[in-house]
Amino acid sequence: MTVLLLCGSMRLNAREVVNDLTAPESRKDLETIQKSVERVLPQARAATVCIEIDEGSGTGVIVSKDGLVLTAAHVATGVKKKATVILEDGTRLKAETLGLVADKDAAMVQILDRGTYPFVEIDRAESTLLGDWVFSLGHAGGFDKERGSVVRLGRLVRIAGATFQSDCMLIGGDSGGPLFDLSGKLVGIHSRVGQQAQVNMHVPLAEFVANWDGLINGEFIGEGPYAEKPEKGNGYLGLATDSRSGGGLIVTKVGLKSPAELAGIKNGDVLLKLNGVNLEKREQMQEILKNLSAGDEVTFEIERAGKLKTITFNLSER
Amino acid sequence: MNANWILPSIICVLALPALGQQSLDSAYRTTGTAVLAAFEPQRKVLQTSSAVLLDGRKEIGYGVVISSEGLILAKWSEVDLVVGLSVTVDQTTYPDVKVLAKDPRWDVALLKIDASGLVPVVFASTSDLAQGTWVVANGATTRTTRRALAGIISAKSREIPASGGAALGVTLKPNSKILEVIEVHEKSGASDVGLKHGDVILSIDGKAVKKIEELGELLKDRKAGSTIQMIIRREGKEILLDVRLSARGELFTDQMNRNDQMSGEYSPRRSGFPRVIQHDILGSRHVQGGPLLDLDGRCVGMNIARANRAESFAIPVEELKLLAETLKKQTPN
Repeated sequence: MTVLLLCGSMRLNAREVVNDLTAPESRKDLETIQKSVERVLPQARAATVCIEIDEGSGTGVIVSKDGLVLTAAHVATGVKKKATVILEDGTRLKAETLGLVADKDAAMVQILDRGTYPFVEIDRAESTLLGDWVFSLGHAGGFDKERGSVVRLGRLVRIAGATFQSDCMLIGGDSGGPLFDLSGKLVGIHSRVGQQAQVNMHVPLAEFVANWDGLINGEFIGEGPYAEKPEKGNGYLGLATDSRSGGGLIVTKVGLKSPAELAGIKNGDVLLKLNGVNLEKREQMQEILKNLSAGDEVTFEIERAGKLKTITFNLSER
Repeated sequence: MNANWILPSIICVLALPALGQQSLDSAYRTTGTAVLAAFEPQRKVLQTSSAVLLDGRKEIGYGVVISSEGLILAKWSEVDLVVGLSVTVDQTTYPDVKVLAKDPRWDVALLKIDASGLVPVVFASTSDLAQGTWVVANGATTRTTRRALAGIISAKSREIPASGGAALGVTLKPNSKILEVIEVHEKSGASDVGLKHGDVILSIDGKAVKKIEELGELLKDRKAGSTIQMIIRREGKEILLDVRLSARGELFTDQMNRNDQMSGEYSPRRSGFPRVIQHDILGSRHVQGGPLLDLDGRCVGMNIARANRAESFAIPVEELKLLAETLKKQTPN
């Protein structure tokens, strides 16, 4: 029994010989690929999650049992943003984006709900070689419980700088999803596609490993093109106010289709607090907004017709 | 949540070669000749048991050979309205093609060519294959030689509801107090039962309807392909009709979304199937209709739609066998 178990574990780490053939030569070679995928797929699927941030839906993959998720920077869109992570069975979890590398399309997300989550091993050894058989998972076109995440098989066809190219076909919604080798180790994160269906690009895991601490610490690393650095003071609320004797600011105008209007703030509402700070003068609100950016969340406590209400929404871009 | 699917716009990858770049020769890629050579046994099955459907010289689809005397299943919406339809099996071209029967729900037609001694596909006992299982389908072809493409089972088998929901296929007079038909879509079930301009819809499945909103509410949860009982008034008489509901996507072209724009030639009819198995073989709309084979060369399904760049659908063999029998029975002798 011990021997069998040992064989099993050795096999998991061994490189499949089929990877070193220029092409599969026999039915046995094809079956080797198939069996490898079948063996590692259940764990890979369980760790693959859908990520919803603002109005976007992408994919990510859990890499630790406490719910650290790797995804693409253009899925995260920013650091410290609210996100929803959806597990394979449809469970929706609260999450937050950590750091991102804007020029490499790498990002991390942390699941905030406590739990023990299914996760995959990452390829820290950069063991992937050109021609290796790989498979991709992703919530193509968004989460679909009936369908589950979609698996596609291909080979690593190009390695150029900070990019892997495979012939696993990707589409919108797959972004941030995992690329695995035949041993089930995570080797890349889906990033972008070319005009031809055979052209699909992934961020190699090495880019995550190289920036690991900064990503964990919520840093915004690098400049564009996959995420835009937030600019302080460019958030738009869409309100005009007057100060009121006895405290609070009275709303005198609400911008058409502004974030404030969409959140349900009305003329005549009295704004008592913004993000926990008592509002006495208009300047106070301006001071708080100066330190916020488009996309940031604001929470108002308001008084309407004698009743207290809390309204939370996100600033848009000015 | 009305989510956008995240993927940056298509990026031109014909950039200057970077230092240290390595690239795999195209022959060794998944669609390359060296890799596909491993699928020669399955390709041989496609050579004899798949049919190439041609409009003149243009390849418009494939078919599944199901009898030695020339019965072939094909994707109906790709052969519908084609005037100069001919069929090639192996190396012989048959110019005389009869459409014997069709099933709008599955989008499948039963064709007959004047042949004998063909090699029908061998149906597999089940389509219940694990994800990751190899499957093989028709790729492009030459006049004499079929080509194979390979992929894997890539998602759970399931129903693909009609995109946009079920539709009756009629236009009603606007701002009217009655449901008066002013136009009938020619491909709809309403047209099949002879509904016409001037007819007034009185009830659906025993429920009286007067307003467009009420009609919409009644049809909301119905499935495309199902049948409703409708009472109409025509020239003072009440008539009872059984009307098949169509998929909205069958009648009207869907608006292209971003995923469609990056999907090349996908199948116009790609939803409204009672059940499909999904695979990742990269075929265009013009290679649909042929058999989906396992490594034993047995037919596990029939390719029915390329849904988008990353997803292809096939009718599972269980349903395909029943469908073939039903279509054969509909055939006038």
